[in-house]
Amino acid sequence: MKYMIMTFGSAEAGLEAMGKEWMVEMIQFMHKLDDDLRKSGELVSAEGLADGSQAKTVRFENGISVATDGPFAEAKESLVGYWIVDVESEGRAIEIASRIVDFVKVPIEVRQVMDAPPEF
Amino acid sequence: MRTEPKPRIEDLLRELAPQVLGTLMRRHEQLDACEDAVQEALLAASLQWAKKGVPENPRSWLVTVASRRLVDEWRSESARRRREETAAVLDLSDRGKTADHDDTLALLFMCCHPSLSVPSQLALTLRAIGGLTTAEVAHAFLVPEATIAQRISRAKERIRSTGVRFDLPPEPERSDRLRVVLHALYLVFNEGYTTTSGTAVHRTDLTAEAIRLARMLHALMPAEGEAAGLLALMLLTDARRAARTTDDGSIVPLDEQRRELWNTAQIEEGVALLTRTLGTVPIGPYQLQAAIAAVHDEAASATETDWPQILALYEVLERVSPGPVVTLNRAVAVARVHGPRAGLALLGTLDTDDRMAHTHRLEAVRGHLLELAGEPAAARESYRRAARMTASLPEQRYLMLRAARLT
Repeated sequence: MKYMIMTFGSAEAGLEAMGKEWMVEMIQFMHKLDDDLRKSGELVSAEGLADGSQAKTVRFENGISVATDGPFAEAKESLVGYWIVDVESEGRAIEIASRIVDFVKVPIEVRQVMDAPPEF
Repeated sequence: MRTEPKPRIEDLLRELAPQVLGTLMRRHEQLDACEDAVQEALLAASLQWAKKGVPENPRSWLVTVASRRLVDEWRSESARRRREETAAVLDLSDRGKTADHDDTLALLFMCCHPSLSVPSQLALTLRAIGGLTTAEVAHAFLVPEATIAQRISRAKERIRSTGVRFDLPPEPERSDRLRVVLHALYLVFNEGYTTTSGTAVHRTDLTAEAIRLARMLHALMPAEGEAAGLLALMLLTDARRAARTTDDGSIVPLDEQRRELWNTAQIEEGVALLTRTLGTVPIGPYQLQAAIAAVHDEAASATETDWPQILALYEVLERVSPGPVVTLNRAVAVARVHGPRAGLALLGTLDTDDRMAHTHRLEAVRGHLLELAGEPAAARESYRRAARMTASLPEQRYLMLRAARLT
Protein backbone atom coordinates (compact mmCIF):
# COMPACT_ATOMS: atom_id res chain seq x y z
CA MET A 1 0.00 0.00 0.00
CA LYS A 2 1.35 3.38 -0.96
CA TYR A 3 0.99 6.44 1.22
CA MET A 4 1.97 10.07 0.77
CA ILE A 5 3.36 11.64 3.92
CA MET A 6 3.23 15.43 3.73
CA THR A 7 4.84 18.19 5.74
CA PHE A 8 3.61 21.77 5.80
CA GLY A 9 5.05 25.16 6.75
CA SER A 10 8.30 26.79 5.65
CA ALA A 11 12.00 26.37 6.38
CA GLU A 12 12.23 30.05 7.28
CA ALA A 13 9.55 29.78 9.95
CA GLY A 14 11.28 26.68 11.33
CA LEU A 15 14.60 28.48 11.53
CA GLU A 16 13.03 31.46 13.28
CA ALA A 17 11.13 29.38 15.80
CA MET A 18 13.74 26.74 16.56
CA GLY A 19 17.19 28.23 15.82
CA LYS A 20 20.22 27.24 13.82
CA GLU A 21 21.26 24.16 15.77
CA TRP A 22 17.85 22.64 15.39
CA MET A 23 18.05 23.36 11.67
CA VAL A 24 21.32 21.43 11.40
CA GLU A 25 19.84 18.55 13.39
CA MET A 26 16.75 18.63 11.22
CA ILE A 27 18.81 18.28 8.06
CA GLN A 28 20.61 15.31 9.57
CA PHE A 29 17.34 13.82 10.72
CA MET A 30 15.79 14.06 7.25
CA HIS A 31 18.91 12.59 5.69
CA LYS A 32 18.82 9.66 8.11
CA LEU A 33 15.10 9.13 7.60
CA ASP A 34 15.44 8.96 3.80
CA ASP A 35 18.33 6.58 4.23
CA ASP A 36 16.38 4.31 6.58
CA LEU A 37 13.36 4.23 4.28
CA ARG A 38 15.61 3.41 1.34
CA LYS A 39 17.26 0.59 3.28
CA SER A 40 13.94 -0.87 4.40
CA GLY A 41 12.80 -1.04 0.77
CA GLU A 42 9.84 1.24 1.46
CA LEU A 43 10.82 4.52 -0.20
CA VAL A 44 9.14 5.23 -3.54
CA SER A 45 10.09 8.90 -3.74
CA ALA A 46 10.70 11.93 -1.59
CA GLU A 47 10.89 15.56 -2.64
CA GLY A 48 11.17 18.94 -1.00
CA LEU A 49 9.39 21.87 -2.60
CA ALA A 50 10.67 25.41 -3.18
CA ASP A 51 9.38 27.93 -0.65
CA GLY A 52 5.68 28.66 -0.86
CA SER A 53 6.42 32.37 -1.45
CA GLN A 54 7.73 31.38 -4.90
CA ALA A 55 4.52 29.60 -5.81
CA LYS A 56 2.24 30.63 -8.64
CA THR A 57 -1.44 30.02 -8.55
CA VAL A 58 -3.34 29.52 -11.77
CA ARG A 59 -7.00 30.45 -11.55
CA PHE A 60 -9.94 30.59 -13.88
CA GLU A 61 -11.03 34.24 -14.08
CA ASN A 62 -13.40 35.94 -16.50
CA GLY A 63 -13.44 32.94 -18.79
CA ILE A 64 -9.66 32.38 -19.04
CA SER A 65 -6.89 30.91 -16.89
CA VAL A 66 -4.65 33.50 -15.21
CA ALA A 67 -1.36 32.88 -13.33
CA THR A 68 -0.70 35.05 -10.30
CA ASP A 69 2.28 35.29 -7.93
CA GLY A 70 2.39 34.08 -4.41
CA PRO A 71 0.80 31.59 -2.11
CA PHE A 72 -2.73 32.20 -1.10
CA ALA A 73 -2.77 29.78 1.76
CA GLU A 74 -1.09 30.74 5.02
CA ALA A 75 2.59 29.71 5.14
CA LYS A 76 1.87 27.03 7.74
CA GLU A 77 -0.64 25.45 5.35
CA SER A 78 1.79 25.38 2.47
CA LEU A 79 3.18 22.02 1.38
CA VAL A 80 6.96 21.92 1.87
CA GLY A 81 7.78 18.32 1.13
CA TYR A 82 6.55 14.78 0.85
CA TRP A 83 7.52 11.14 0.94
CA ILE A 84 5.76 8.41 -0.97
CA VAL A 85 6.28 5.09 0.79
CA ASP A 86 5.15 1.61 -0.16
CA VAL A 87 4.42 -0.14 3.13
CA GLU A 88 2.71 -3.22 4.47
CA SER A 89 -0.04 -1.38 6.36
CA GLU A 90 -1.49 1.99 7.28
CA GLY A 91 -0.03 1.41 10.75
CA ARG A 92 3.48 1.40 9.32
CA ALA A 93 2.83 4.66 7.40
CA ILE A 94 1.63 6.26 10.62
CA GLU A 95 4.71 4.95 12.44
CA ILE A 96 6.95 6.69 9.88
CA ALA A 97 4.92 9.90 10.15
CA SER A 98 5.11 9.72 13.96
CA ARG A 99 8.87 9.57 13.78
CA ILE A 100 8.83 12.83 11.80
CA VAL A 101 6.28 14.45 14.11
CA ASP A 102 8.33 13.49 17.17
CA PHE A 103 11.12 15.53 15.65
CA VAL A 104 9.46 18.47 13.89
CA LYS A 105 6.54 18.76 16.37
CA VAL A 106 4.17 20.00 13.66
CA PRO A 107 1.27 18.04 12.13
CA ILE A 108 1.99 15.64 9.29
CA GLU A 109 -0.66 14.42 6.87
CA VAL A 110 -0.81 10.77 5.81
CA ARG A 111 -2.85 9.99 2.68
CA GLN A 112 -3.26 6.71 0.86
CA VAL A 113 -2.29 6.73 -2.81
CA MET A 114 -5.09 5.36 -4.95
CA ASP A 115 -3.41 2.36 -6.50
CA ALA A 116 -5.39 -0.44 -4.88
CA PRO A 117 -7.03 -2.98 -7.17
CA PRO A 118 -10.78 -2.46 -7.57
CA GLU A 119 -12.83 -5.14 -5.84
CA PHE A 120 -15.69 -5.55 -8.27
CA MET B 1 21.23 -27.33 -31.34
CA ARG B 2 17.85 -25.83 -32.17
CA THR B 3 17.07 -22.25 -32.98
CA GLU B 4 14.00 -20.84 -31.31
CA PRO B 5 12.33 -17.46 -31.48
CA LYS B 6 13.13 -15.22 -28.51
CA PRO B 7 9.88 -15.39 -26.50
CA ARG B 8 10.20 -19.18 -26.45
CA ILE B 9 13.66 -18.89 -24.89
CA GLU B 10 12.38 -16.49 -22.24
CA ASP B 11 9.54 -18.85 -21.33
CA LEU B 12 11.94 -21.75 -21.09
CA LEU B 13 14.36 -19.77 -18.93
CA ARG B 14 11.67 -18.71 -16.52
CA GLU B 15 10.37 -22.26 -16.27
CA LEU B 16 13.86 -23.55 -15.52
CA ALA B 17 14.90 -20.72 -13.19
CA PRO B 18 13.40 -22.13 -9.96
CA GLN B 19 14.61 -25.67 -10.77
CA VAL B 20 18.17 -24.46 -11.29
CA LEU B 21 18.07 -22.32 -8.16
CA GLY B 22 16.56 -25.19 -6.18
CA THR B 23 19.35 -27.50 -7.30
CA LEU B 24 22.00 -25.01 -6.24
CA MET B 25 20.25 -24.34 -2.95
CA ARG B 26 20.11 -28.04 -2.09
CA ARG B 27 23.88 -28.07 -2.25
CA HIS B 28 24.80 -24.66 -0.81
CA GLU B 29 21.86 -23.28 1.18
CA GLN B 30 22.91 -19.66 0.58
CA LEU B 31 20.05 -17.93 -1.11
CA ASP B 32 21.77 -14.65 -1.93
CA ALA B 33 24.88 -16.18 -3.53
CA CYS B 34 22.89 -18.90 -5.36
CA GLU B 35 20.28 -16.46 -6.60
CA ASP B 36 22.87 -14.03 -7.96
CA ALA B 37 24.61 -16.91 -9.72
CA VAL B 38 21.34 -18.12 -11.28
CA GLN B 39 20.46 -14.59 -12.44
CA GLU B 40 23.84 -14.35 -14.14
CA ALA B 41 23.39 -17.75 -15.76
CA LEU B 42 19.93 -16.73 -17.03
CA LEU B 43 21.37 -13.57 -18.51
CA ALA B 44 24.21 -15.49 -20.17
CA ALA B 45 21.69 -18.00 -21.55
CA SER B 46 19.37 -15.38 -23.00
CA LEU B 47 22.31 -13.80 -24.82
CA GLN B 48 23.95 -17.02 -26.03
CA TRP B 49 20.91 -19.15 -26.83
CA ALA B 50 19.35 -16.46 -28.98
CA LYS B 51 22.50 -16.47 -31.13
CA LYS B 52 23.65 -20.09 -30.99
CA GLY B 53 20.43 -21.92 -30.29
CA VAL B 54 19.15 -23.75 -27.23
CA PRO B 55 21.51 -26.49 -25.97
CA GLU B 56 20.37 -30.12 -25.87
CA ASN B 57 19.95 -30.08 -22.11
CA PRO B 58 19.20 -26.46 -21.17
CA ARG B 59 18.72 -27.26 -17.50
CA SER B 60 22.17 -28.83 -17.17
CA TRP B 61 23.67 -25.93 -19.08
CA LEU B 62 22.16 -23.46 -16.62
CA VAL B 63 23.13 -25.51 -13.55
CA THR B 64 26.70 -25.80 -14.81
CA VAL B 65 27.05 -22.11 -15.66
CA ALA B 66 25.39 -20.99 -12.42
CA SER B 67 27.50 -23.24 -10.22
CA ARG B 68 30.60 -22.13 -12.12
CA ARG B 69 29.69 -18.51 -11.26
CA LEU B 70 29.13 -19.48 -7.68
CA VAL B 71 32.57 -21.06 -7.53
CA ASP B 72 34.17 -18.04 -9.24
CA GLU B 73 32.51 -15.83 -6.68
CA TRP B 74 33.84 -17.89 -3.83
CA ARG B 75 37.30 -18.15 -5.31
CA SER B 76 37.60 -14.41 -5.42
CA GLU B 77 36.06 -14.20 -1.98
CA SER B 78 38.26 -16.56 -0.03
CA ALA B 79 40.57 -19.49 -0.48
CA ARG B 80 39.12 -21.50 2.37
CA ARG B 81 36.14 -22.28 0.21
CA ARG B 82 38.32 -24.00 -2.34
CA ARG B 83 37.69 -27.44 -0.89
CA GLU B 84 34.02 -27.14 -1.74
CA GLU B 85 34.58 -26.17 -5.35
CA THR B 86 35.02 -29.54 -6.98
CA ALA B 87 32.10 -30.96 -5.10
CA ALA B 88 29.99 -27.97 -6.08
CA VAL B 89 30.36 -28.61 -9.77
CA LEU B 90 30.42 -32.40 -9.72
CA ASP B 91 27.46 -33.05 -7.48
CA LEU B 92 25.07 -31.04 -9.59
CA SER B 93 24.60 -33.58 -12.34
CA ASP B 94 21.01 -34.35 -13.31
CA ARG B 95 19.04 -35.98 -10.56
CA GLY B 96 15.61 -37.50 -10.42
CA LYS B 97 12.47 -35.52 -11.15
CA THR B 98 11.26 -35.96 -7.56
CA ALA B 99 14.33 -34.20 -6.22
CA ASP B 100 13.73 -31.32 -8.66
CA HIS B 101 10.13 -31.03 -7.58
CA ASP B 102 11.04 -30.98 -3.91
CA ASP B 103 13.76 -28.39 -4.46
CA THR B 104 11.44 -26.02 -6.31
CA LEU B 105 8.83 -26.46 -3.58
CA ALA B 106 11.39 -25.94 -0.82
CA LEU B 107 12.42 -22.75 -2.58
CA LEU B 108 8.83 -21.55 -2.78
CA PHE B 109 8.26 -22.26 0.90
CA MET B 110 11.45 -20.36 1.69
CA CYS B 111 10.44 -17.31 -0.37
CA CYS B 112 7.05 -17.27 1.35
CA HIS B 113 8.37 -17.84 4.84
CA PRO B 114 6.08 -16.32 7.48
CA SER B 115 9.02 -14.46 9.05
CA LEU B 116 9.25 -12.27 5.91
CA SER B 117 6.98 -9.26 5.40
CA VAL B 118 4.32 -9.79 2.76
CA PRO B 119 5.84 -7.28 0.27
CA SER B 120 9.17 -9.11 0.67
CA GLN B 121 7.54 -12.49 0.06
CA LEU B 122 6.02 -11.24 -3.18
CA ALA B 123 9.22 -9.61 -4.46
CA LEU B 124 11.37 -12.60 -3.60
CA THR B 125 8.93 -15.12 -5.07
CA LEU B 126 8.66 -13.23 -8.34
CA ARG B 127 12.42 -13.00 -8.65
CA ALA B 128 13.59 -16.38 -7.35
CA ILE B 129 10.69 -18.53 -8.59
CA GLY B 130 9.25 -16.38 -11.35
CA GLY B 131 12.68 -15.59 -12.79
CA LEU B 132 11.73 -11.92 -13.24
CA THR B 133 14.50 -9.35 -13.07
CA THR B 134 14.47 -6.81 -10.27
CA ALA B 135 13.52 -4.15 -12.84
CA GLU B 136 10.54 -6.22 -13.99
CA VAL B 137 9.32 -6.74 -10.43
CA ALA B 138 9.71 -3.01 -9.75
CA HIS B 139 7.78 -2.16 -12.91
CA ALA B 140 4.97 -4.48 -11.92
CA PHE B 141 4.56 -2.89 -8.49
CA LEU B 142 5.11 0.65 -9.80
CA VAL B 143 8.02 1.39 -7.48
CA PRO B 144 11.67 2.25 -8.25
CA GLU B 145 14.06 -0.62 -8.98
CA ALA B 146 16.21 0.32 -5.97
CA THR B 147 13.19 -0.19 -3.69
CA ILE B 148 12.65 -3.77 -4.89
CA ALA B 149 16.40 -4.50 -4.87
CA GLN B 150 16.52 -3.40 -1.25
CA ARG B 151 13.42 -5.39 -0.36
CA ILE B 152 14.92 -8.55 -1.89
CA SER B 153 18.26 -8.10 -0.18
CA ARG B 154 16.57 -7.52 3.17
CA ALA B 155 14.47 -10.64 2.69
CA LYS B 156 17.61 -12.67 2.01
CA GLU B 157 19.29 -11.12 5.05
CA ARG B 158 16.31 -12.08 7.17
CA ILE B 159 16.36 -15.64 5.84
CA ARG B 160 20.02 -15.84 6.80
CA SER B 161 19.68 -14.28 10.23
CA THR B 162 16.59 -16.23 11.30
CA GLY B 163 18.09 -19.50 10.07
CA VAL B 164 15.23 -20.37 7.70
CA ARG B 165 16.04 -23.83 6.35
CA PHE B 166 15.94 -24.80 2.71
CA ASP B 167 13.63 -27.74 3.15
CA LEU B 168 10.03 -28.81 2.87
CA PRO B 169 8.26 -27.81 6.09
CA PRO B 170 7.60 -30.78 8.39
CA GLU B 171 4.12 -32.29 8.26
CA PRO B 172 2.53 -30.54 11.27
CA GLU B 173 3.40 -27.10 9.79
CA ARG B 174 2.85 -28.03 6.16
CA SER B 175 -0.75 -26.86 5.76
CA ASP B 176 -0.17 -23.54 7.56
CA ARG B 177 2.92 -22.87 5.48
CA LEU B 178 1.07 -23.80 2.28
CA ARG B 179 -1.62 -21.30 3.21
CA VAL B 180 1.01 -18.53 3.30
CA VAL B 181 2.34 -19.59 -0.12
CA LEU B 182 -1.16 -19.65 -1.62
CA HIS B 183 -1.94 -16.26 -0.12
CA ALA B 184 1.24 -14.76 -1.60
CA LEU B 185 0.33 -16.03 -5.07
CA TYR B 186 -3.22 -14.79 -4.59
CA LEU B 187 -1.87 -11.32 -3.73
CA VAL B 188 0.34 -11.28 -6.83
CA PHE B 189 -2.75 -12.09 -8.89
CA ASN B 190 -4.83 -9.48 -7.12
CA GLU B 191 -2.15 -6.84 -7.59
CA GLY B 192 -2.23 -7.58 -11.29
CA TYR B 193 -5.98 -7.68 -11.48
CA THR B 194 -6.41 -3.96 -11.74
CA THR B 195 -6.70 -2.11 -14.98
CA THR B 196 -6.17 1.57 -14.51
CA SER B 197 -5.37 3.11 -17.86
CA GLY B 198 -1.68 3.54 -18.55
CA THR B 199 -0.49 0.81 -16.23
CA ALA B 200 -2.77 -1.89 -17.59
CA VAL B 201 -0.18 -3.66 -19.74
CA HIS B 202 2.34 -4.32 -17.01
CA ARG B 203 -0.17 -5.21 -14.38
CA THR B 204 -1.70 -7.74 -16.76
CA ASP B 205 1.74 -9.34 -16.88
CA LEU B 206 1.61 -9.75 -13.12
CA THR B 207 -1.70 -11.60 -13.43
CA ALA B 208 -0.24 -13.92 -16.05
CA GLU B 209 2.76 -14.49 -13.81
CA ALA B 210 0.53 -15.38 -10.85
CA ILE B 211 -1.34 -17.91 -13.01
CA ARG B 212 1.94 -19.38 -14.22
CA LEU B 213 3.18 -19.77 -10.63
CA ALA B 214 -0.13 -21.25 -9.45
CA ARG B 215 0.03 -23.68 -12.36
CA MET B 216 3.53 -24.67 -11.30
CA LEU B 217 2.46 -25.12 -7.67
CA HIS B 218 -0.50 -27.26 -8.71
CA ALA B 219 1.80 -29.45 -10.82
CA LEU B 220 4.16 -29.82 -7.87
CA MET B 221 1.39 -30.59 -5.37
CA PRO B 222 -1.41 -32.22 -7.39
CA ALA B 223 -2.99 -33.73 -4.26
CA GLU B 224 -3.47 -30.33 -2.60
CA GLY B 225 -7.04 -29.29 -3.31
CA GLU B 226 -6.45 -25.67 -2.39
CA ALA B 227 -3.54 -25.34 -4.84
CA ALA B 228 -5.89 -26.58 -7.56
CA GLY B 229 -8.63 -24.33 -6.19
CA LEU B 230 -6.43 -21.23 -6.33
CA LEU B 231 -5.41 -21.95 -9.91
CA ALA B 232 -9.04 -22.50 -10.89
CA LEU B 233 -10.08 -19.29 -9.12
CA MET B 234 -7.43 -17.30 -10.98
CA LEU B 235 -8.36 -18.80 -14.36
CA LEU B 236 -12.10 -18.27 -13.83
CA THR B 237 -11.65 -14.69 -12.59
CA ASP B 238 -9.08 -13.66 -15.17
CA ALA B 239 -11.31 -15.10 -17.92
CA ARG B 240 -13.54 -12.02 -17.52
CA ARG B 241 -10.70 -9.51 -17.78
CA ALA B 242 -11.42 -8.17 -21.26
CA ALA B 243 -15.02 -7.42 -20.29
CA ARG B 244 -14.29 -5.93 -16.90
CA THR B 245 -13.25 -2.48 -18.05
CA THR B 246 -13.90 -0.19 -20.97
CA ASP B 247 -11.11 1.35 -23.08
CA ASP B 248 -10.82 4.32 -20.71
CA GLY B 249 -10.36 2.04 -17.70
CA SER B 250 -13.91 2.40 -16.35
CA ILE B 251 -15.28 -0.56 -14.42
CA VAL B 252 -18.09 -2.61 -15.94
CA PRO B 253 -20.06 -4.51 -13.25
CA LEU B 254 -20.55 -8.25 -13.75
CA ASP B 255 -24.21 -8.03 -14.79
CA GLU B 256 -23.43 -5.47 -17.50
CA GLN B 257 -20.38 -7.21 -18.98
CA ARG B 258 -20.34 -8.34 -22.61
CA ARG B 259 -20.03 -12.06 -22.05
CA GLU B 260 -18.82 -12.78 -25.58
CA LEU B 261 -15.56 -11.10 -24.48
CA TRP B 262 -14.99 -13.71 -21.78
CA ASN B 263 -12.16 -16.16 -22.41
CA THR B 264 -13.99 -19.46 -22.95
CA ALA B 265 -10.82 -21.58 -23.11
CA GLN B 266 -9.80 -20.32 -19.69
CA ILE B 267 -13.28 -20.91 -18.30
CA GLU B 268 -13.26 -24.48 -19.63
CA GLU B 269 -9.86 -25.12 -18.10
CA GLY B 270 -10.91 -23.69 -14.73
CA VAL B 271 -14.17 -25.66 -14.67
CA ALA B 272 -12.42 -28.91 -15.66
CA LEU B 273 -9.81 -28.40 -12.96
CA LEU B 274 -12.51 -27.75 -10.40
CA THR B 275 -14.54 -30.78 -11.48
CA ARG B 276 -11.49 -33.01 -11.05
CA THR B 277 -10.78 -31.53 -7.63
CA LEU B 278 -14.11 -31.08 -5.87
CA GLY B 279 -15.21 -34.08 -3.88
CA THR B 280 -11.83 -35.80 -4.02
CA VAL B 281 -10.09 -33.68 -1.38
CA PRO B 282 -11.13 -31.71 1.71
CA ILE B 283 -13.00 -28.59 0.60
CA GLY B 284 -11.30 -25.23 1.13
CA PRO B 285 -11.98 -21.52 0.60
CA TYR B 286 -10.16 -21.22 -2.75
CA GLN B 287 -12.07 -24.16 -4.20
CA LEU B 288 -15.35 -22.64 -3.02
CA GLN B 289 -14.56 -19.20 -4.40
CA ALA B 290 -13.58 -20.86 -7.67
CA ALA B 291 -16.87 -22.77 -7.68
CA ILE B 292 -18.76 -19.48 -7.24
CA ALA B 293 -16.76 -17.87 -10.06
CA ALA B 294 -17.59 -20.90 -12.22
CA VAL B 295 -21.35 -20.46 -11.67
CA HIS B 296 -21.06 -16.84 -12.86
CA ASP B 297 -18.86 -17.80 -15.79
CA GLU B 298 -21.18 -20.58 -16.96
CA ALA B 299 -24.30 -18.37 -17.05
CA ALA B 300 -25.15 -17.40 -20.62
CA SER B 301 -26.51 -14.05 -19.37
CA ALA B 302 -26.69 -12.15 -16.08
CA THR B 303 -30.39 -13.01 -15.68
CA GLU B 304 -29.66 -16.73 -16.12
CA THR B 305 -27.19 -16.76 -13.20
CA ASP B 306 -27.96 -19.59 -10.79
CA TRP B 307 -28.14 -17.42 -7.66
CA PRO B 308 -29.59 -20.15 -5.38
CA GLN B 309 -26.49 -22.23 -6.12
CA ILE B 310 -24.21 -19.25 -5.47
CA LEU B 311 -26.00 -18.63 -2.18
CA ALA B 312 -25.58 -22.29 -1.18
CA LEU B 313 -21.85 -22.08 -1.98
CA TYR B 314 -21.46 -18.90 0.10
CA GLU B 315 -23.18 -20.66 3.00
CA VAL B 316 -20.60 -23.45 2.81
CA LEU B 317 -17.80 -20.90 2.45
CA GLU B 318 -19.00 -19.09 5.54
CA ARG B 319 -18.85 -22.33 7.52
CA VAL B 320 -15.40 -23.29 6.19
CA SER B 321 -13.84 -19.85 6.39
CA PRO B 322 -16.04 -17.34 8.20
CA GLY B 323 -15.32 -13.62 7.92
CA PRO B 324 -17.04 -10.31 7.26
CA VAL B 325 -16.12 -10.26 3.55
CA VAL B 326 -17.77 -13.64 3.05
CA THR B 327 -20.89 -12.44 4.89
CA LEU B 328 -20.90 -9.35 2.69
CA ASN B 329 -20.81 -11.42 -0.48
CA ARG B 330 -23.44 -13.77 0.89
CA ALA B 331 -25.68 -10.73 1.45
CA VAL B 332 -25.55 -10.02 -2.30
CA ALA B 333 -26.61 -13.60 -3.03
CA VAL B 334 -29.34 -13.43 -0.37
CA ALA B 335 -30.65 -10.24 -2.02
CA ARG B 336 -30.79 -11.98 -5.41
CA VAL B 337 -32.59 -15.03 -4.04
CA HIS B 338 -34.80 -13.60 -1.27
CA GLY B 339 -35.01 -9.93 -2.26
CA PRO B 340 -33.00 -6.78 -1.43
CA ARG B 341 -34.60 -6.30 2.02
CA ALA B 342 -33.31 -9.71 3.18
CA GLY B 343 -29.85 -8.79 1.85
CA LEU B 344 -29.92 -5.43 3.64
CA ALA B 345 -30.90 -7.11 6.90
CA LEU B 346 -27.86 -9.37 6.68
CA LEU B 347 -25.64 -6.36 5.87
CA GLY B 348 -26.93 -4.73 9.04
CA THR B 349 -25.22 -7.43 11.08
CA LEU B 350 -21.88 -6.14 9.77
CA ASP B 351 -22.40 -2.53 10.91
CA THR B 352 -20.87 -3.22 14.30
CA ASP B 353 -17.99 -5.28 12.89
CA ASP B 354 -14.78 -3.27 13.35
CA ARG B 355 -13.11 -5.15 10.51
CA MET B 356 -15.62 -3.60 8.09
CA ALA B 357 -15.59 -0.09 9.53
CA HIS B 358 -12.84 1.22 7.30
CA THR B 359 -13.58 -0.54 4.04
CA HIS B 360 -15.68 0.86 1.26
CA ARG B 361 -17.14 -2.52 0.31
CA LEU B 362 -19.90 -2.57 2.90
CA GLU B 363 -21.22 0.82 1.76
CA ALA B 364 -20.81 -0.05 -1.93
CA VAL B 365 -22.90 -3.21 -1.51
CA ARG B 366 -25.43 -1.37 0.64
CA GLY B 367 -25.79 1.27 -2.05
CA HIS B 368 -26.42 -1.44 -4.62
CA LEU B 369 -29.04 -3.20 -2.48
CA LEU B 370 -30.77 0.08 -1.53
CA GLU B 371 -30.95 0.89 -5.23
CA LEU B 372 -32.58 -2.50 -5.90
CA ALA B 373 -34.96 -1.89 -2.98
CA GLY B 374 -36.13 1.35 -4.60
CA GLU B 375 -34.49 3.80 -2.20
CA PRO B 376 -32.44 6.05 -4.49
CA ALA B 377 -31.67 8.78 -1.93
CA ALA B 378 -30.27 6.36 0.64
CA ALA B 379 -28.45 4.43 -2.12
CA ARG B 380 -26.80 7.65 -3.28
CA GLU B 381 -25.52 8.37 0.22
CA SER B 382 -24.04 4.88 0.53
CA TYR B 383 -22.33 5.12 -2.87
CA ARG B 384 -20.86 8.48 -1.88
CA ARG B 385 -19.57 7.16 1.43
CA ALA B 386 -18.03 4.18 -0.38
CA ALA B 387 -16.42 6.50 -2.96
CA ARG B 388 -14.76 8.44 -0.16
CA MET B 389 -13.36 5.25 1.39
CA THR B 390 -11.99 3.34 -1.59
CA ALA B 391 -8.28 3.41 -2.47
CA SER B 392 -8.92 2.45 -6.09
CA LEU B 393 -9.29 5.30 -8.54
CA PRO B 394 -11.39 3.44 -11.17
CA GLU B 395 -13.62 2.20 -8.38
CA GLN B 396 -14.03 5.69 -6.95
CA ARG B 397 -15.09 6.96 -10.37
CA TYR B 398 -17.49 4.06 -10.76
CA LEU B 399 -19.09 4.74 -7.36
CA MET B 400 -19.35 8.49 -8.00
CA LEU B 401 -21.07 7.78 -11.31
CA ARG B 402 -23.46 5.33 -9.62
CA ALA B 403 -24.31 8.07 -7.11
CA ALA B 404 -24.65 10.72 -9.81
CA ARG B 405 -27.03 8.52 -11.80
CA LEU B 406 -29.45 8.59 -8.87
CA THR B 407 -29.66 12.38 -8.55
